[in-house]
Amino acid sequence: MVHVFSYKDKHYIYDTGSSSLHECDGTAALLLREKLGEPVDTSAVTPAERRACEEDFAELERAGLLFKEEVKEGPAKSGEVKALCLHICHDCNLRCRYCFADEGAYHARREFMSLETAKKAIDFLIENSGGRKVLETDFFGGEPLMNFGVVKETVLYAKEKAAARGKKFLFTLTTNGLLLKDDVAEFLNAEFENVVLSLDGRKEVHDAVRKTPNGKGSFDLAIENMKKFVRIRGDKKYYVRGTFTAKNLDFSEDVLFLADNGFDSISMEPVVTDLADLAITEDMLPRIGQEYDRLCDAFLAREAAGRGFNFFHFNVDLEGGPCLAKRVSACGAGNEYFSVVPNGDIYPCHQFAGDPAFRMGSVYGGTLDEGIRAKFRDSCLFTRKKCENCFAKFICSGGCSANNYHYNGDIDEPYAITCAMMKKRVEDAMHILAERKRREAGEG
Amino acid sequence: MNKIKTIARPAARKVTGCGECRSTCQSACKTSCTVGNQSCERITREADPEKIGK
Repeated sequence: MVHVFSYKDKHYIYDTGSSSLHECDGTAALLLREKLGEPVDTSAVTPAERRACEEDFAELERAGLLFKEEVKEGPAKSGEVKALCLHICHDCNLRCRYCFADEGAYHARREFMSLETAKKAIDFLIENSGGRKVLETDFFGGEPLMNFGVVKETVLYAKEKAAARGKKFLFTLTTNGLLLKDDVAEFLNAEFENVVLSLDGRKEVHDAVRKTPNGKGSFDLAIENMKKFVRIRGDKKYYVRGTFTAKNLDFSEDVLFLADNGFDSISMEPVVTDLADLAITEDMLPRIGQEYDRLCDAFLAREAAGRGFNFFHFNVDLEGGPCLAKRVSACGAGNEYFSVVPNGDIYPCHQFAGDPAFRMGSVYGGTLDEGIRAKFRDSCLFTRKKCENCFAKFICSGGCSANNYHYNGDIDEPYAITCAMMKKRVEDAMHILAERKRREAGEG
Repeated sequence: MNKIKTIARPAARKVTGCGECRSTCQSACKTSCTVGNQSCERITREADPEKIGK
């Protein structure tokens, strides 16, 4: 399919079949919209302009860059496991209101994963990883640094076991930063490929939701620890990851606040919650779209001034990005990616953890529930029927299975509000790509 | 071309579907990550084999 869109006075054509992006003038955009059957007024277009545009459309089609037929079938997925989310601690030193994990407890008792269970999980991953060489483990919570001793021992154990099998681990960890002391930072910098730091942005925004158990805001302690951590992190990867809610629809201010505070790798995610005062609702989408555009403009302005930063959702690499097989395979949860909770039970991903309907087995033995696994293995872009006519489908792969399930009761049923935000971010990301090319060519 | 300029198109690849890239959820956010925000890590790894592993 072909998607024609505009960003202010710039016009773009995205061809999903070839995954190619083109820039055009307003007349070409208008005539292509006409060709796509959209109701447009082309009465002002001259015959010469029409002829010039038609020649361009034909040339692109001949080159396989416009109206290229899309791939219609997903690849057969392997049964090899490549990643685990280890719920190293079902407890947290914060009580964030929007927490999907029930403020760290996952609707059960608060508990820490034992080293024995963590080792069993690593064994499970290695044993089921087949020919995969690169394996991943994310230390997650609650707050994983509350169980740092087990994190440390597990990393050392995994490295040793992997080396003996000719494999290598990539470790990641998600933390609220409160326990990010010097010795912890040193270990994370030495061993972890990526560290995700949870910080929502401006103090008043962060403290309104991310509170300690005694009701105090956590901003001051978190940001100081994180700033120090990032300073010594060097060029190793990290993300400062915020959540925006209905209370801060001006979230571009939070992203820029984070950039102003020295964080150059930022992610800002829409909240997933049923809480009425925080949830994102359909009526907010126009405002959110404007906010992404504001962020896009500020992002480009800073980049042009040599003060650029990385914003996760503006990364869309159409040239060297994921292969088509990856882009139609959906997220991998429940098939190649699992989460393991403190007692060793296995779930499709962290967002299903604790839901008895999705318990797939245990690292302490037995087999995985093949019924649940088959549902996730068979799910891909092409089982998500609502995605069929969406231009962003080969970029988002049908979205997050857990979000789909929690909002619509089906991992293959995309959640419309998430889709709307995704499409807006993808258009902005494509505009950024084009602006960078213009700048490189000395046109910007 | 008169009125259209190609901005980006996928590079030709020798290998696809090797599966050695990171799983989608392990990137930055754990709630709204998407495949398209990631890179082909085979390319990354081959450019810097010591960083990710051969």
